[in-house]
Amino acid sequence: MLFNSLSFVVFLVIVLLLYYSKFLNWTNKKRMLLLASYVFYGLWNPPLVILLWISTMVDWTAGKRLAVEENQRKRKMWLLTSMFVNLGFLGFFKYGNFLLENFTAVINTMGFEYEALPMDIILPMGISFYTFQTMSYTIDMYKRKIEPARTFLDFALYVTFFPQLVAGPIVRAKDLITQFYEEKRATANQFFWGVFLLTIGLFQKVVMADALLSSTSDNVFGSDKLLHGVDAWVGTLAFSGQIFFDFAGYSTCAIGIALMLGIILPDNFRYPYASLGFSDLWSRWHISLSSWLKDYLYIPLGGNRHGITRMYVALMLTMLLGGLWHGAAWTFMVWGGLHGTYLILEKLQKQYLPFKITKWNGIFLAFITFSCVNITWVFFRAREFDTAWNMIKSMFYMQTEGEKILGSFEVLKVSVVVGILFICHWLMRNTSMKAVSLKTNPFVLGIFWAIMLFLIIISQGSGEQFIYFQF
Amino acid sequence: MNLKQSLICAIALCVLGTVAWELYWRSQGYYPDLDNDEALFAAQRKRADKASNSDVILIGSSRIHFDIQLDVWKKETGIKPIQLAYPGATPLPVFHDLVHKTDFSGTIVVGVTPGLFFSSTTTEKRAYRSANDKVEYFHDQTYAQQLNHMLSIPLQQNLAFMSDADGVDAMKLQFLLEGIQFGNRIEGSDFPPFPNFADISLDRNLRMTEKTVTDTAFARLIKNVWSFKSTPETPPRELDKEGVMKIFVADAKAFQDRGGNLVLLRCPSTEYYRKKEENFYCRDEFWDELVKQSGAKGYHFEDYVQLKDLDCPEWSHLSGEDADFFTAEVAKIMMNDNSIPFNLKTN
Repeated sequence: MLFNSLSFVVFLVIVLLLYYSKFLNWTNKKRMLLLASYVFYGLWNPPLVILLWISTMVDWTAGKRLAVEENQRKRKMWLLTSMFVNLGFLGFFKYGNFLLENFTAVINTMGFEYEALPMDIILPMGISFYTFQTMSYTIDMYKRKIEPARTFLDFALYVTFFPQLVAGPIVRAKDLITQFYEEKRATANQFFWGVFLLTIGLFQKVVMADALLSSTSDNVFGSDKLLHGVDAWVGTLAFSGQIFFDFAGYSTCAIGIALMLGIILPDNFRYPYASLGFSDLWSRWHISLSSWLKDYLYIPLGGNRHGITRMYVALMLTMLLGGLWHGAAWTFMVWGGLHGTYLILEKLQKQYLPFKITKWNGIFLAFITFSCVNITWVFFRAREFDTAWNMIKSMFYMQTEGEKILGSFEVLKVSVVVGILFICHWLMRNTSMKAVSLKTNPFVLGIFWAIMLFLIIISQGSGEQFIYFQF
Repeated sequence: MNLKQSLICAIALCVLGTVAWELYWRSQGYYPDLDNDEALFAAQRKRADKASNSDVILIGSSRIHFDIQLDVWKKETGIKPIQLAYPGATPLPVFHDLVHKTDFSGTIVVGVTPGLFFSSTTTEKRAYRSANDKVEYFHDQTYAQQLNHMLSIPLQQNLAFMSDADGVDAMKLQFLLEGIQFGNRIEGSDFPPFPNFADISLDRNLRMTEKTVTDTAFARLIKNVWSFKSTPETPPRELDKEGVMKIFVADAKAFQDRGGNLVLLRCPSTEYYRKKEENFYCRDEFWDELVKQSGAKGYHFEDYVQLKDLDCPEWSHLSGEDADFFTAEVAKIMMNDNSIPFNLKTN
């Protein structure tokens, strides 16, 4: 089920009515939320709920055993079991086709004629998110960082909680399971703020991403022509804006919906396009994934504890695997590799060419960071290397014969939207929406809210899937 | 921060804005109607899975969609057909799907619009891809999508601005923005405006609007689209007679072998289209050959005195009134030949 769909409106109203009804106690409310979460997921493809159940059962059992087991070998065995099942699901469903294609290519390169039958594997929606979430529980249990979930219901709800089930934020057990222990009710202000966040999230998705930017980005990246530099840049900027609004929109909806239930989810985006460098970027973009990768990959790989070279290797491996997490294609690896390179270059710059960031050079640095990020989006969005390479060549005017495919209005529209996006991020980088709204006159806020609602209605979102669902 | 005040203010202003938006579009002559989209198609395709041997399924392009009126057919035969035709599309993918993905062995009436029917057999071509997309959507449709469609119907039936139309009839923000033209960075499309000229109901019955019949200037807009950069002497851009014959005949045999009843129907066309069809799809090489090879019963409007001179206001489809007449006559002719099932209750 999609947040930007009529069925979700009905679903949410029913869930809220039951949640705030007096005839259900807290345990039954949690049961209702769990059932609702399975319905939310199952309305897309019912049999794939079984994967959620297996993941839940395996990590619940592993967590329970890890809580009491003292034998280190057995503890490791339970950890490996959890990782084997979760990464096995990911490996099969997400990377099965990719591995087979590459295996076939290697065999063919070696001179053997081999053609594999297509496996036609369905990618379960949000599998990368919920497997990472459940694994974090077991790993934290293994490291004795957290207490086991008190009941199976609390744990199952942690794995399946519908607002963040399919596209995050990836929430840690310590931040979410404990919230299920005591009855939660949103205060009136929390509830209204939740509705406001839901509106903002839908506005970002339906109006900004789908109505204003997606067609330009689709036209440019779907073109088989060698493009003019302006078209390539505008298409890339359009995708840059689209993916931010799409993904940040989902996270904002998720946070808002959870807040309407009195549950607090962590921020996932903090105005990332005004980042001052790439370390800053990754503390602002998809925060829950980058902190997951840092805690469960970068640090176990050595982090910065074993010298500079080892740190760079760990950083690069983390970013390459982070790229692969997004999709089973070499283009995603390049995307991750570019980010890894940027991070390494930034660390070198800080070591050998340090300079102070002032308000005068800050916006320039933010602009440079944003421009470099745009280059990485080319590889993220392009499905083929040829497309990506042609785009890069066009963007840097190595292609003088490029064709113009975007009209003047499209160029202007994308430039204005993405320009405003960048300026807003810059102005907001040290504050928050909540802080700004507190200073805003309620009627002015109401007018702003009404404009967003009206634009959502006249955009008539046709239920375009969120980009990050495929990851 | 008083969020309650803000929310009340937002809801009040949003309701006002939405009412004004709806009134604006109604003042422009628009009224609530349904989108002839893949979800509406899927709802009817679903019925085909449960259809019995006495059911009738209509497939084809826009002509059979416009020209066969479902209620009239039901009045004449006692059986309401399932409408699976789609404008601008070849029936090949839908027929293939019905033959291979269902066990339906009732009657399939195939509307043959030569320019589309004989156009292509691959998804690289628009006419084939358009139909194939609908079939794929049906098979991939999630429960959530079905529910969304069900919930959207009352909105579509009551709000004029709830429309997926693009081009000159665009009312949703994305399409309105796409319609804005300024500057000359690229050569703008000179494709003429293509307004909607039919209304569709929940059972996918399509009927030409009265405006198309009575307003000749409006009908001219549609004619401009049909004759865009083309004359009756301009050869068709997409034509694959052999490929189409091969695929269709194979599916026809498979369908007939399991007891299915196949009927081919050639609906009227006039002036530009009639001439074009005479020039490039001459009857003996295309229609007669198709009927012969497929072993189906064939009904061509030219063979019936009451049908051959019907007028198409925009050269390709019948007015609602003429479609009623055409449907009734075709049903009678087919019943007389025992070509279609009927269930006439007698007192």
